Amino acid sequence: MTEPVSQVSMGKKIVFAIISFVAAGLYFHFLDIVLMDMQGLDYLYLFRK
Amino acid sequence: MATMTKQARKKIWAFLALGVFAGLLLLPLFLSLPAGASGEAPALPASTAPPTAQAADAKPVEKARDVWYKTEGPVVGAPAPKTTDGPKDYPRYNFESRVLLWVANQQHLYYGSFVLAVPIFCLVVEYLGIITKDKAMARKYDQLAYDFIKISLTAYSLTAILGGILVFTYLTLYPSFFGYLSSIFRPVMHTYALLFVAESGTLYIYYYGWDKMREGFLKWVHLSMAVILNVIGTTLMFLANTWIAFMQSPAGVDAEGRYLGNIWHVIHTTLWNPINVHRILGNMAFGGGVVAAYAAYRFLTAKNDEERAHYDWMGYVAMFIGVCFLVPLPFAGYWLMREVYAYRQQMGITLMGGLLAWLFIIQAVMIGTLFLTTNYYLWQGMERMRGAERYQKYIKYMVFVLITCFIVWLTPHTMVMTPAELKAMGGQQHPVLGNYGVMSAKNGAINVIITTTVLSFIMYQRANKIPTVKWAPLGNAFLVGLFTMAYVNIIWLAIYGYYIPANVRVGLSVPQVATTLSCLFIGVTLNSVMLKGAKDTGPIAWGQISIRSQYALIMLATAFTWMMGLMGYIRSSVRLFWHVNEIMRDNSPWAFTHTIGFAANMISFNVLFFWLTIMFVFWLGTLGVKKAPVTAPVGQKVPVPAASH
Repeated sequence: MTEPVSQVSMGKKIVFAIISFVAAGLYFHFLDIVLMDMQGLDYLYLFRK
Repeated sequence: MATMTKQARKKIWAFLALGVFAGLLLLPLFLSLPAGASGEAPALPASTAPPTAQAADAKPVEKARDVWYKTEGPVVGAPAPKTTDGPKDYPRYNFESRVLLWVANQQHLYYGSFVLAVPIFCLVVEYLGIITKDKAMARKYDQLAYDFIKISLTAYSLTAILGGILVFTYLTLYPSFFGYLSSIFRPVMHTYALLFVAESGTLYIYYYGWDKMREGFLKWVHLSMAVILNVIGTTLMFLANTWIAFMQSPAGVDAEGRYLGNIWHVIHTTLWNPINVHRILGNMAFGGGVVAAYAAYRFLTAKNDEERAHYDWMGYVAMFIGVCFLVPLPFAGYWLMREVYAYRQQMGITLMGGLLAWLFIIQAVMIGTLFLTTNYYLWQGMERMRGAERYQKYIKYMVFVLITCFIVWLTPHTMVMTPAELKAMGGQQHPVLGNYGVMSAKNGAINVIITTTVLSFIMYQRANKIPTVKWAPLGNAFLVGLFTMAYVNIIWLAIYGYYIPANVRVGLSVPQVATTLSCLFIGVTLNSVMLKGAKDTGPIAWGQISIRSQYALIMLATAFTWMMGLMGYIRSSVRLFWHVNEIMRDNSPWAFTHTIGFAANMISFNVLFFWLTIMFVFWLGTLGVKKAPVTAPVGQKVPVPAASH
């Protein structure tokens, strides 16, 4: 059954937002580390010093 | 064989003819291929003469080292001529020869770019027409593709004429340099000329065969010809790029400029591929801009609503294709600059931190203008869609983000100042604003600008639609999360860059670019999937758009043209006093770098000249025009144009 967009509860919206922010954040963090590593560079250079 | 149909036999003959034709075209290149890239001398022919006599007659093969590949090869060419300032090497009129060459080169390049880009549009639009199930829309696409190729046909003749003028200018004003270049690129130049013949033939058949090949299988044959046309066109451009890439980063010759017999080394110089990628994207963006400007011109001069609707739609499609190629263009430019730095660090410094750095500031202004104008056009375009009002409230925030980033993007690293000003500011860098004149800030700024442009496009895509898929709330939340975290990541990387050494910092640009591209690919794909079967809030009222939007399209095209002229000048003048970098010195009286003001005036002259002539081409295109079969999609009323602006 199709759930009308406007009838999604606020609680659900908040859960979706949290999931999305966490997923996107993890994805970009992973991207940063991998792409720096591929260039032979240390992404966490400042924090390892 | 007996069972073979007449049609199958025809097909085989057609393929054979095509193979022979392609073989002939590439023959000069094959003939010039060396025995081996490592530089081994070709095997001597067997002879009946005694070995001692052969040894006495044979000259020892002189070998030399390639300046770039560092491999040894047999010397088969003469050294680069050492020119002197005189009529032998630099015959001249009572005028600066370099300026004449500049105009000839730039005009040929503008037209060349245009006629290479437009057939790619035709291919895309004609293909859309074939696969579209809606017959009215299919006809519209087909008519649009035809309109595109019609414009480029006259431009094609002008390109050839300008090419001739360019060659004659080289031959008459720079004979020694051109002689040297053609002695090395002889097979490439022959292939180029033959490909040009093939391009012309294919283009004319493609254009004049449009009506004959309108339906069924023949339509696919026609589309295949567009593919062939584009393959030839792109190869032509790649070949022309070999000459400029060789002049900037020579390879395949020794330190004296003597050709070492390996044509692939001469072609495949270190900057060739970055230039290829940068140019193909640039040409497409430029071509889109010019066609959009043509559509805007026709929109502004339209006599009825039907015409206005058609040219509004045409302008949008051309702008959309152009912007698709504009978005990755800064990344291709960044790659090219990285390769320039890797080739010769000093060359990179001259470009971005020295003599030519202020031209890069002008370039930054132009790029910022392009993106601002694109966003402005998209926001204006939303006015013709009912339901777009719900996104209007976000535009002011996007303007703020774009303007802020634009200001950072164009902040110079250092200023040209009087000693008093220098003292008052406390150094060459401004204590506050100077922090924004570095690559860390600029990379962040341009990535935010591009990401915001992608966001504008997503808003435009869904302006008159409401997603109805079950997972729409999650999809919307994910889009918000994706873009918010992308902004956070880009800005975080920009700030992080200030705290780490330069060698690590330079690598941060890669994840920044990847973040922006993620928004482009994931965001647009997700949005498109969400909009499948979406509820329409109303049709797009083509033609019902403000006149300002059409001036924005003209602005976009002018900015593209000016920027192409600027970047061409920058790339060329970075060789300073060399015809061929570190190989052949320019000893003419004009081997100096012009002032920024002079260069800017020259670029403006070239832009004006191009636009005056292309207006003539547009006008020619309107002569003898048959009424375009513009039909509004079934059930869609052609809208009334906006009454006030």
